[in-house]
Amino acid sequence: MVKNLKNYKEEFKDIPGTRVFTTELARKGYHLNQFCMSLMKPENRKEWLADEKAYLDGWKVTAEQRDALLARDYNRLLELGGNIYYLAKVFSTDGLSFVQAVSTMTGMSVDDYKAMMDAGGRSPDGVRSIKEGT
Amino acid sequence: MAKISAGVATSHVPLIGVGVDQGKQDEAYFKPIFAGYEWTKEWIKKPETKPDVVVLVFNDHASAFGQDIIPTFAIGCGEEFSPADEGWGPRPVPTVKNHPDLAWHIAQSLIIDEFDMTIINEMDVDHGLTVPLSAMFGQPEEWPTLVVPIMVNVVTYPIPSGDRCFRLGQAIKRAVESFPEDLNIQIWGTGGMSHQLQGPRAGLINAEWDQKFLDDLTADPERLCQIPHIEYLRETGSEGIEMVMWLVMLGALTNPKELHRHYHVPASNTALGHIVLENNP
Ligand SMILES: [Fe+2]
Repeated sequence: MVKNLKNYKEEFKDIPGTRVFTTELARKGYHLNQFCMSLMKPENRKEWLADEKAYLDGWKVTAEQRDALLARDYNRLLELGGNIYYLAKVFSTDGLSFVQAVSTMTGMSVDDYKAMMDAGGRSPDGVRSIKEGT
Repeated sequence: MAKISAGVATSHVPLIGVGVDQGKQDEAYFKPIFAGYEWTKEWIKKPETKPDVVVLVFNDHASAFGQDIIPTFAIGCGEEFSPADEGWGPRPVPTVKNHPDLAWHIAQSLIIDEFDMTIINEMDVDHGLTVPLSAMFGQPEEWPTLVVPIMVNVVTYPIPSGDRCFRLGQAIKRAVESFPEDLNIQIWGTGGMSHQLQGPRAGLINAEWDQKFLDDLTADPERLCQIPHIEYLRETGSEGIEMVMWLVMLGALTNPKELHRHYHVPASNTALGHIVLENNP
């Protein structure tokens, strides 16, 4: 069905406020995402919470990924190859729900984000395509 | 012979599991979420509908597998699968029991049919598999059905196309129908519907698109097979792509007839969809 890999991936970049987890991002984010996976173990969560910087020293994450992790800058982490299901291990360890963590990426307060969801969610109108503005 | 009697699709939002595990079904937020499963809970109990085995299509959410191994299509052939610890302890739900002879038979048949499956004997199963069971069966001591898990990668792109998923479903049908034991089989598709969990566009919901998708499961399956990834991404949010797993279910059915439908927004960040389809071979 996909005839042209270049066009296939080019189109992904045309979606506003969205990062599709492509092979490039998977390559870039490998150690970052595997670090996130390590937080599935309670003993690792304890160690991470006790001293985040020291814990990260044991992982081959880049300086940029490290800074973004310490700052819990999830949009930046997505850009640096983090995937949301992996990053979820970080915000769950912080005691945040998906709704709470996801709202931080939208520039909205948690309450405003929740109110938007209760009212039916974000409309796709205007956020389908950057080029078309639809 | 084994026969597929029905298809069931449902979102597998973790919050549904929270609602069941913590007994919140009667709270105002949860009431409309669970109301739409009441019909199915009654239907699935009836002796003439109760499945012996569910072939359950789901995806792992960085629970059993990290980035170390990323199978595109996989099948669970081990005897049983424990609920995964997704970071806050495993869900208090029964161990999932497989029908390993059927699973191995399906694996063999699919590979001969040119679907090069990864065979998994050991894995823990996350909310993608256990939440649909809780939605349909509540909190039993043991799950009232055996489960053959089919796993699809819908996280790391490129993921399989909708059409490829549909054809996997057709191959599953051929596999099941060539298994000699008399079994009532259901095929379940899980995940979706519209939702986006990442980036500034998070929270996207497209009820109109979702409803049309539900309509066309019976009205125009061919259209659904031709939907490209980019349309799911634009119209239903980055995580709406999970709906390709519904097409595996659809491929395993013949002339499906809609018996029941449920749609509700929101379940946390997600548009919840659920449908029951009768198989009419
Ligand atoms: Fe999912």
